[in-house]
Amino acid sequence: MIVRGLSLRQIVMPLVVLLCGTLVLYPIGFLINESLNVGDPSVFPPEEYGLDNYWNLIDDYHILANTALVACIATVLAVLFGFLQAWILTRTNIPGRQRLERLMELPYYMTPLIGALAWGVLLGPKTGLVNQVWRSLGLPGDLFNIYSPYGIAWVMALFEGTVAFVMISAAMKSMDPSLEESSRVLGAGKLRTALRITLPLVAPGVLSATIFVFAEMLGSFAAAFVLGIPGRFYVVTTAIWQATLSFPPDYGRAAAMGLSLFGVMLITLTLARLVLRHGSYATITGKAFRPREMDVGRMRWPLLGIAWGYIIVAVILPLAALLLTSFEKFATVILPQMKFTLANYETALQMGSVGPAFVNSLTLGISVATVGVPVIGVLAWIIYRSRMPGRGAAEYVIMFPQAVPRLVFGLGLLWAWINLPIPIYGTLWLLGLAYFTVFLPLGLRTIASVVLQVDPSLEECARVCGAPWIYQMRTVTLPLLRPGMVAAWLLIFIASVRELGVSIFLMGPNSKVIAPAIVNSWLSSSSELSAAMALIQTATVFAAVALMFSLARRVTGVTQ
Amino acid sequence: MRRRPFAALSAILVALLGAVAAVACDNPRQMDGFKTCADVAKAEQEGALVVYSTDPEAAAEAELAKFHAVFPKIRMNYLRIQAGGLYAKLLAERQGNVYLADIAQLSDVSFALDFQKRGGYMQYVSPEMAAHKTEYKSSPEGYWTWGALVVAAIAYNPTLVSADEAPRTWRDAMDPKWTDTISVKVSISGLQHVTWYVLRQLYGNDFWSKLAPLKPHAFDSYVQQFDRLVSGQDKVALTAQYSGYLAMKAKGAPVVFVYPPDGVVAAPQPWGIVKEAPHPEAARLFMDWFLSVPGQSGNVRELFTYSPRPDVPPPPGGASVTEFKLLIPNDWQAFERTHAQFVREWDKITGLR
Repeated sequence: MIVRGLSLRQIVMPLVVLLCGTLVLYPIGFLINESLNVGDPSVFPPEEYGLDNYWNLIDDYHILANTALVACIATVLAVLFGFLQAWILTRTNIPGRQRLERLMELPYYMTPLIGALAWGVLLGPKTGLVNQVWRSLGLPGDLFNIYSPYGIAWVMALFEGTVAFVMISAAMKSMDPSLEESSRVLGAGKLRTALRITLPLVAPGVLSATIFVFAEMLGSFAAAFVLGIPGRFYVVTTAIWQATLSFPPDYGRAAAMGLSLFGVMLITLTLARLVLRHGSYATITGKAFRPREMDVGRMRWPLLGIAWGYIIVAVILPLAALLLTSFEKFATVILPQMKFTLANYETALQMGSVGPAFVNSLTLGISVATVGVPVIGVLAWIIYRSRMPGRGAAEYVIMFPQAVPRLVFGLGLLWAWINLPIPIYGTLWLLGLAYFTVFLPLGLRTIASVVLQVDPSLEECARVCGAPWIYQMRTVTLPLLRPGMVAAWLLIFIASVRELGVSIFLMGPNSKVIAPAIVNSWLSSSSELSAAMALIQTATVFAAVALMFSLARRVTGVTQ
Repeated sequence: MRRRPFAALSAILVALLGAVAAVACDNPRQMDGFKTCADVAKAEQEGALVVYSTDPEAAAEAELAKFHAVFPKIRMNYLRIQAGGLYAKLLAERQGNVYLADIAQLSDVSFALDFQKRGGYMQYVSPEMAAHKTEYKSSPEGYWTWGALVVAAIAYNPTLVSADEAPRTWRDAMDPKWTDTISVKVSISGLQHVTWYVLRQLYGNDFWSKLAPLKPHAFDSYVQQFDRLVSGQDKVALTAQYSGYLAMKAKGAPVVFVYPPDGVVAAPQPWGIVKEAPHPEAARLFMDWFLSVPGQSGNVRELFTYSPRPDVPPPPGGASVTEFKLLIPNDWQAFERTHAQFVREWDKITGLR
């Protein structure tokens, strides 16, 4: 049995690493090639190679500095909000936690570009709704200016930061509550327990989320595009947008800019590995436990207030702004000028391409998440549990797509797959493969936080008892990773449905997806129509997720 | 995506041969409102047509539906991407020998000239091209033709700017009183390049130097420009698309369009058939219909743009094109050569560099 199990393991492990590594490195090869092209950009393969595109980045130092500034602020905000909300909603006994948890995910359902649009309606200078209320109180100037680095970071934190919440929640759900209870019995207060016990125990989750969110923020496009350009504030992704879409396209500069972000990612990832190497974070051990919430007594009402406060600011206000816009004849925030209509919804529902695009997006989301999560689960186990040579390098490779802005990676994927003699270009198969590739880091980071919490002794126990590797994975490891895998499924599903950067280049006339259709509508039709389409998208994804979890509960009896 | 030198040479040879044979067929078939050299039965047998374009999806689908109503056996498929992304995709598909598009509308003459140089277009001289001016077509004829004219000038919000203080000329738009309240388009916009080029020719090379101190807000799309204008975040939009103004006006938005006496800017949308179109007969049939009065009238109605054909009425609510003086580059090759300089200057003006 053991020999048979080991041989299967020896086959599966290199296969998974090889498959995922190839999917990532193959397009990256095209990007590196292009970033070194210093000759005629219209000749392929390049005739002259050099480092000019990298040297020229020095001229763009202000863009790099802007990117670092907003990425740092947004990461701090996102992880702070994510941690606080995750702790309140998973570790305390405030009422209505499950409903609040579902609401927390709502901003992530939405194409971020539309989220930024909503915040422009709320906090735009001079005429933003909040600033109008401020002025109506007789107060001078504007209370907020969303077209600023802080405004961009705020929107990024709210719309991309849901990932932090889901990742940290998954880690908190896998935590033995008796450790917190021991702290309380020994006389520590609730805050002290949260800071001294809960925080260190979920450190892998928080660190994983921080790395992921920081990389996400570096490559974030939508908020900087909608709010940065009007404020004359450019970041790497908006500069890349200009470089790739201008004529003649400056792919070399775009590729060099995109790949340079991987340098930053490399440093961050190395630091995280160093930190994690020096501690043990196992909270799932041989000792049985049931996840229990902490009774926070009278504190539950203030905590409920904080949770709802965040939901109101991050979810309800922007959704209300979008709802208002979607019913307007033309988008305005000047109250006396508003005229209302249902025409935007009629147009959105009548557009021949919207229906198939929704179906394609949902199909891709379900397929990529369902196929991808077990594969990524095995990959996470290989990287963090096995002794396979090169597992450390595999982690860096898998993180590559996260560090390179999606728009640039999309170009790499386009060049890579169109040059293979496999007829999948222009089909949903290619989009599925591309989504799997770009969401490898998302899945890996989500599951990694839980893998690190599982005490290796449980798996050793299975092996000592004679279980082959595959049996041990099926009966011990994967069930213990369930919170992480459910979170990863959810995140990958939603991320696939709202994916934009890669889809722009890879979708074909018979494989349209919804996010580019919404963004196209904003770029070429009207904000009102885009708002209506975005709300239909949000409602559809919300219903799909609710249905999926309801079915899963019925089938397995498992709650998230 | 890219071509080797021998391919460029062969493209030139093909173009030279095409120049000799640039005539429509001898006996075009008269259809309902247009003439065609396409084999209609074969086109219907092909059964589909794929259009790549930058036009807004809802409006473009409505236009294509009109063709589908005439030829119900031909299924229409539309893919909308921003101009730069569309061209990158088209070139990558050619480089990978994957051909999905039949018709390409590239929105910018620079792209069309480049695509023609690369041998990307099929040469087809539609009988309907006889109604289009020579300068509105590729040289030699038949590779691409202007399918629409996008007109642009200045717009303002009358609730914030009175008629007395509103700009009346292009020079008025450079007044320091518009500091931080004026919008333009970004440097990837073909229309913005045309505007920069023709006004520089008209008013001198230093004309645009007066814009930089106004700290203009730059946008990818006219939609954003008009959104900010009607919501009071900007007072004036420069390079404001007339089609955007008409669409906003039809909705009752507070916006006024200014027709500068020196002329309004006009940028063409070049349409052509992709050389390796998977549905070539359907593509020829479509081009014939699209360039005819029925096709052009439908396009004008749906997209609020102008037709290059003089016998097509203006868009709903729009003035006749004869009332405008159109500012169009007269030498497209010279125009194309200024692109790098334009991008450099414009990125500085709009704060990118």
